[in-house]
Amino acid sequence: MFAQNNCIEPGCPKSALSTFNNDKEITEMPGYCLEHSKNPEKTKQEIFDYINSHEKIVGLNAGGIVFENIDLTNKKFYGCNFMHCHFINIHSTGLRSRMSMFDFAIFSDCNLLQSNMQFTSFAGSTFSHTLFTGSDMIQNNFSGIQSYQSSFDDSDLYNSRFVRAKLIDTSFRNCNVKKTVFHVIEQQNVLFKYSNTREAIFDDDQSELFIGELSNKIGYVLEPQD
Amino acid sequence: MKIYFHLNIEGFSNCYVIVNELTSEAIIVDPGIITPQIIENIEKGGFTLAGVLVTHNHGSHVHGLQTLRKIYTPQIFAADWEVAGNETYVLKDEGIIQIAGLTVGYMSVPGHTPDSMVYKIGNVLFTGDVISAGKIGSSNNKFSEQALIKNINEKILSQQEETILMPGHGPPTTVAAEKMFNLAINPKETGIREKLGLI
Repeated sequence: MFAQNNCIEPGCPKSALSTFNNDKEITEMPGYCLEHSKNPEKTKQEIFDYINSHEKIVGLNAGGIVFENIDLTNKKFYGCNFMHCHFINIHSTGLRSRMSMFDFAIFSDCNLLQSNMQFTSFAGSTFSHTLFTGSDMIQNNFSGIQSYQSSFDDSDLYNSRFVRAKLIDTSFRNCNVKKTVFHVIEQQNVLFKYSNTREAIFDDDQSELFIGELSNKIGYVLEPQD
Repeated sequence: MKIYFHLNIEGFSNCYVIVNELTSEAIIVDPGIITPQIIENIEKGGFTLAGVLVTHNHGSHVHGLQTLRKIYTPQIFAADWEVAGNETYVLKDEGIIQIAGLTVGYMSVPGHTPDSMVYKIGNVLFTGDVISAGKIGSSNNKFSEQALIKNINEKILSQQEETILMPGHGPPTTVAAEKMFNLAINPKETGIREKLGLI
């Protein structure tokens, strides 16, 4: 995991995309990022083929690639890099991830139901019409995410962090949010019904949203907990 | 190189096992507790435990060291001699060491504790309690906090943006994410009340 090389283009700070040997297995050979790749379409196709042909994927670097209309059901990603990727219309159940990085990725119209994603980072990502319903999302990093009309319902978000998240029309119904950090979040129409919000960590600014002047100003209404 | 993550349920701290398949050697970062899974991780892979990297001398990061030393004889690297007495290779300031066939960079980042040390292997930083997703480590006073923020800015956030941070507590993150969203590093940004014009 994380045997990642930087792009060999002089001065480029990005991670290189995975390279493959003749047996179509991931190598640790240096390579280029998507922007500097000599043949980006070929590299992308190799990555798609690798994902399609493997259930367990370790140390794949696919930073910046667009994934569209792909079925990731029961795929297992360990230590993979999907930073700045765009996921469009992905449908899966039972997707599994450990120590993978999805920072600054964009998820549009994705159904990632009953996923099991632990110790994974989605910092700065955007979720639009994306469903994680029924997922185990333990100790994940959701700092700085922007979530629009998305759902984490029936999920375990234990020890995850939503620092500076922007949550619009997003639901956390029947979730385990014990030790989950919601510091300095921005929210509109966020539902926590049947979730153990007393075990979650809201900061002072956030607490005022539940009862004070702010809730009237942004039209936020807290659903009854019991 | 592969990195395995183990959660210490007792102290909610993260322990990492880094293995180099080419030399069949392993390194452990912050052995807060030694579980059968960690031993299995090393033994099933046929690895020799070459070194232990301690980010700071707090119980949830070093309690497992006693058990580990009964089973293996690794080199122990820390900034505090008291971690393992005379068996400690005491690190100061910044430098590079070779363990398990890997190049390990280290840098002192005091503030949370005086002995806080951050290690760099490849494009991954093991930050201990110096910085974690959205937060920085606790400190005893304002002076320490300011020193910590200064050190983080100069030594950690100056790394390449896609550098991955593996903290001592909580989920992983990246340099780019912390620059944008960390509450201590970027305190003036956002703030709901400010955005709404209430202050």
